[in-house]
Amino acid sequence: MSPLLEMKNVTIHFGGLTAVNGVSMTIEERQISALIGPNGAGKSTIFNIITGIYAPNGGHIYYRQEEITGKKPHQITGRGIARTFQNIRLFGELSVLENVKIGGHCKGRAGLFGALTRLPGVQKEERLIMEKARAALAVVDLTGREKELARNLSYGDQRRLEIARALASGPQLLLLDEPAAGMNTLEKQTLMQTVQHIRDLGITVMLVEHDMSFVMNLSDHVDVLDYGRKIASGTPFEVQQNPAVIEAYLGKEPLDLETD
Amino acid sequence: MEAIFDFFSNPYYIQILTITGVYLIAALGLNLITGITGQFSFGHAAFMSIGAYTSSLLTLYLHTPFFLNLLLGGIIAALFGVLLGFPSLRLTGDYLGITTLGFGEIVRVVFINTKITGGAFGLAGIPRETNIILVYLIVVLTIISLYLIKNSRFGRGLVAIREDEIAAEAMGINTLFYKVEAFAVGSFFAGISGALYAHLIQYISPGDFGFSRSFEILNFVVIGGLGSIPGTVVGTAILALAPEFLRFVQEYRMLIYGALMVLMMTFRPRGLLGGVDLFQVWRNFRHKGLREKI
Repeated sequence: MSPLLEMKNVTIHFGGLTAVNGVSMTIEERQISALIGPNGAGKSTIFNIITGIYAPNGGHIYYRQEEITGKKPHQITGRGIARTFQNIRLFGELSVLENVKIGGHCKGRAGLFGALTRLPGVQKEERLIMEKARAALAVVDLTGREKELARNLSYGDQRRLEIARALASGPQLLLLDEPAAGMNTLEKQTLMQTVQHIRDLGITVMLVEHDMSFVMNLSDHVDVLDYGRKIASGTPFEVQQNPAVIEAYLGKEPLDLETD
Repeated sequence: MEAIFDFFSNPYYIQILTITGVYLIAALGLNLITGITGQFSFGHAAFMSIGAYTSSLLTLYLHTPFFLNLLLGGIIAALFGVLLGFPSLRLTGDYLGITTLGFGEIVRVVFINTKITGGAFGLAGIPRETNIILVYLIVVLTIISLYLIKNSRFGRGLVAIREDEIAAEAMGINTLFYKVEAFAVGSFFAGISGALYAHLIQYISPGDFGFSRSFEILNFVVIGGLGSIPGTVVGTAILALAPEFLRFVQEYRMLIYGALMVLMMTFRPRGLLGGVDLFQVWRNFRHKGLREKI
């Protein structure tokens, strides 16, 4: 089976810094893939390239064998790739329900004309968006909190709302940028179940995360980045044994260690 | 009762109420751009002037029916909104503000230096077609359209852009296109307002639609509460009517506007009704009433 997402030799420079350097990777359908690496390795940059916020200086990205390199973010979301942000980007002054309904934007088509005429088709579409929104809230267990303002939610709830908002767009690929950041152990466990549930719904998940036990327990596949290059790839077990990965995280073993 | 009758039979008061309604239409249009979509515009009066000149020239030279001219005034203003919007709405914040400010000045200078618009003297002898009933009918239609827009998929997209443009784009919203559309609709209402103004005052000159007029309309929206439709109505009513009823402050109007702006930003930065849901207030009020009865 061909992969859902394929990156070939993707490179991006910011001034003199090469943030991502010739990275190739594939994301298989219905898997949970993780992208890990030390701070500044280029993980979030890769997310921003996939979702069209940055245009790469070189390389190609294919989604379902179609090239999406350099497409605008809204076009990429329209094709079925949704994301959350590392630094939460909710619509703070809006309610939980409104946030998720905006997430369901792709599920409708009505524009200005539809807004002013409220034709039956538009009303049907509104009901569909509402249905998708409520379903997405149920997945992250935020049902019953619809009327609260997004900015008043706790940090963990805000992270879950971001996931719900991304889900409402009906994605086939969901990119989660540090979903467990700032969560306590209990919240992390619930989140793990939520992500598994999302995978079971048939949605492919790709995540960036620093919490190693979270990544290793959850992922089917792990890619490791260091200084913008891919240094390892495989199952969580394989990656943990890889000397290059250990070096990237812990540094080289001192030479005099064996003589002790 | 008699006092009310006296009020409505006084042509001076009627004129003031009518002109307030005309400004309100422009202010509601600006609220869509600045309040709901969150895009600065310091050139709103320029779109009023485009509507005013379009309808006046059509009336004076082509003698086409007034309602057609009114509509065309709005449509031409909307077209200019699109023309300005596509290049400038790629900018944000201050940069967009300065661009719209420049656009407003360009429009004014073009009207001053064009023969057919009467140059700096302006256009006189425009037939009076605007009346209070027509104006408030259009005000009501404008308010309804704004509510319909605000509570739709399109309107949610606009609010999302105001709240966080990058996140909005990531939700699949074509932000540039949406901003241009909002700009066009807001400019359309400004154009309608300008056309009504021309056919009410019967004389227009480029000076009527300078920066201070743009700033005045922005003031109506900001004082009322950005993004709040009742806020714009209240803000416009207070700021447009107050100088007329308090004649002694007339000369110091701009001074008071400035002071009011500073005070508002200090004590109530979101405006009089910013972030207030009137329906919610009404529901709370009723519930409180019920509780007291029990």
